[in-house]
Amino acid sequence: FAGAGGGNDIQWCFSQVKGAVDDDVAEADIISTVEFNHSGELLATGDKGGRVVIFQQEQENKTQSHSRGEYNVYSTFQSHEPEFDYLKSLEIEEKINKIRWLPQKNAAQFLLSTNDKTIKLWKISERDKRPEGYNLKEEDGRYRDPTTVTTLRVPVFRPMDLMVEASPRRIFANAHTYHINSISINSDYETYLSADDLRINLWHLEITDRSFNIVDIKPANMEELTEVITAAEFHPNSCNTFVYSSSKGTIRLCDMRASALCDRHSKLFEEPEDPSNRSFFSEIISSISDVKFSHSGRYMMTRDYLSVKIWDLNMENRPVETYQVHEYLRSKLCSLYENDCIFDKFECCWNGSDRQQRRFSTELFFFLPRLCSIVMTGSYNNFFRMFDRNTKRDITLEASRENNKPRTVLKPRKVCASGKRKKDEISVDSLDFNKKILHTAWHPKENIIAVATTNNLYIFQDKMN
Amino acid sequence: MLGKGGKRKFDEHEDGLEGKVVSPTDGPSKVSYTLQRQTIFNISLMKLYNHRPLTEPSLQKTVLINNMLRRIQEELKQEGSLRPVFVTASQPADPLGDNFREAQPAFSHLASQPLLPADFISTTPLESCLTPASLLEDDTFCTSPTVQHDGPTKPPPPALQPVKDSFSSALDEIEELCPAPTSAEAVAAETAADDSKEHPSEPGVQKPEGLPDSRTADSKLMDSLPGNFEITTSTGFLTDLTLDDILFADIDTSMYDFDPCTSATGAASKMAPVSADELLKTLAPYSSQPVTPNQPFKMDLTELDHIMEVLVGS
Repeated sequence: FAGAGGGNDIQWCFSQVKGAVDDDVAEADIISTVEFNHSGELLATGDKGGRVVIFQQEQENKTQSHSRGEYNVYSTFQSHEPEFDYLKSLEIEEKINKIRWLPQKNAAQFLLSTNDKTIKLWKISERDKRPEGYNLKEEDGRYRDPTTVTTLRVPVFRPMDLMVEASPRRIFANAHTYHINSISINSDYETYLSADDLRINLWHLEITDRSFNIVDIKPANMEELTEVITAAEFHPNSCNTFVYSSSKGTIRLCDMRASALCDRHSKLFEEPEDPSNRSFFSEIISSISDVKFSHSGRYMMTRDYLSVKIWDLNMENRPVETYQVHEYLRSKLCSLYENDCIFDKFECCWNGSDRQQRRFSTELFFFLPRLCSIVMTGSYNNFFRMFDRNTKRDITLEASRENNKPRTVLKPRKVCASGKRKKDEISVDSLDFNKKILHTAWHPKENIIAVATTNNLYIFQDKMN
Repeated sequence: MLGKGGKRKFDEHEDGLEGKVVSPTDGPSKVSYTLQRQTIFNISLMKLYNHRPLTEPSLQKTVLINNMLRRIQEELKQEGSLRPVFVTASQPADPLGDNFREAQPAFSHLASQPLLPADFISTTPLESCLTPASLLEDDTFCTSPTVQHDGPTKPPPPALQPVKDSFSSALDEIEELCPAPTSAEAVAAETAADDSKEHPSEPGVQKPEGLPDSRTADSKLMDSLPGNFEITTSTGFLTDLTLDDILFADIDTSMYDFDPCTSATGAASKMAPVSADELLKTLAPYSSQPVTPNQPFKMDLTELDHIMEVLVGS
């Protein structure tokens, strides 16, 4: 991207970083999910301690045209608490696995947050007025002696400092035996799905005491279990269609109109294995950790351990594009298996849907570049990668406090797989596998990205001229 | 191990393990392939057995490790290096081989169509109406296809039965030797013959479904099956007698989890005293009851020796 002289290349600059500075990471502070809301004004993070922190973008200052608004803390609340399953003698982690925003319908904001077992609908509302002038209460809340009241007045609302309140409006519990890995809100905005390792359930947002099972891959004999569900998502436009991915690298597209229990897929997406790359770890690295539809719904993107694949929904037998995230790890799979890094679940995301190609020239008007043209995903050593589908160029950037100056363009990074290491390159053996970027998010409309390292949240923006 | 910023020196040995994938047919590289395979096998076993989480282990990880072990075992079997280990007096000489062969059809069938258990079990479609997820918690609903398949009277799925038989008869022998008050025996998941002979204490539990019927009142209990399943299937992998302690630990855990519905006392009394605390901690995630470290054990070391003899066949 950077320095290539192309007209459409984005130059990413550091904007902000949130979170503790120490190297000693508190377990509860580990960020486990990041999600922008539909307008991009709010950015939510969930952590291992069960907390949700929401940042709000400042309104753009007309005088400060060189940067977009900063994100500041808007609300913090404890979404989930640790629980204990007495029957199994096991703790149920409070870690927030996923957050999904509902589209805004009124003044309040709603989001779904989930841990391994329970999904909650949270309402986040602002309060900037309060009633004053009660007859029977003092301003500090103490009750007045009624006999001292000589006149009556009508209480009025007076402005107060903004208070943001989060309250749980629905709790969707007891429907998942296994660990929930995904939630996805339907395009009808009334229902949503939740997926665990073996089942997918359909809920109505208003109804908490009942959910319907739409996929069940649990074998009657658990000894025969060889494959689990790893992610699921509703189609962005078609409210009867959803996909789910598996630990064997397959994606199944299901149509809820076909039958109540969608155990038979409508489409099965699977790429045949490349025999030259076969190894003991082929299955494990083919396990899909994330699946995301493009905004149009024509394509979907999957992330497995080493690559990102773009699939055309009309073609089941292979992806249309494959991007290698960190192919240099292929020769290290045994060590990565040993230290469990091979099981890391990286997510991926598309760029925002509007204003992507800001500067294409007028003669290209008849050639409209694909709007979902850039994909982003994380890697190790606090590196993250972006792939431009139009130009076929890719870039590696690093989320670190060393690039702290706002509006400084980030320097591209390069990993040296073998042989002589050039200046500024990093050798594979020097990579820090404890510094992993699993969660990234792209603002729905602007070129602003949120990248989560272990316990810090970085916000980068493109350089505005 | 890959760590924080430290450079690794070039190491011949490690390179043999990492490096390129070596096909088993290459002559001189066959050794390193075998070495790599054995290393991965050992690592996989360690992962399954040394993991003592406070929370439930990830099912995905367990399944992937298990698949790895199965694949390696298949390879070993094809290469003819699989030796029968678990021999009991009442079983043929190669119970493991038999069990494995009998289990194969189930595995291979599912390997081709892994996500269509409904096909395998029943032809009755379940699409007539939406299934409330609450019914799944009973596990009676999702196992009702097995009722249709098995008919109203009959035994557990054939894939499971032979494996259980060899162990259950070994268990039975041990039970007879041991005067322990094990009131709750292995459940109706075992064969009807065993049931009638051995389990007067569980009169009413003879439901027609095989393994699923053992999920009586405690549906949540069966939710621990992910743990159970990986322990029972991996018993088949321990053909290498040099892994003695793991072998032994494995026997004990398999003894334990064939009794998913027994009471705590019944289950605990089957556990050997050797490294008991360790085992208990390992098993806590998979047990239906909180296991306290200091529960008394009924078997002493002489019984233990006898079990070893029986199971190793020496």
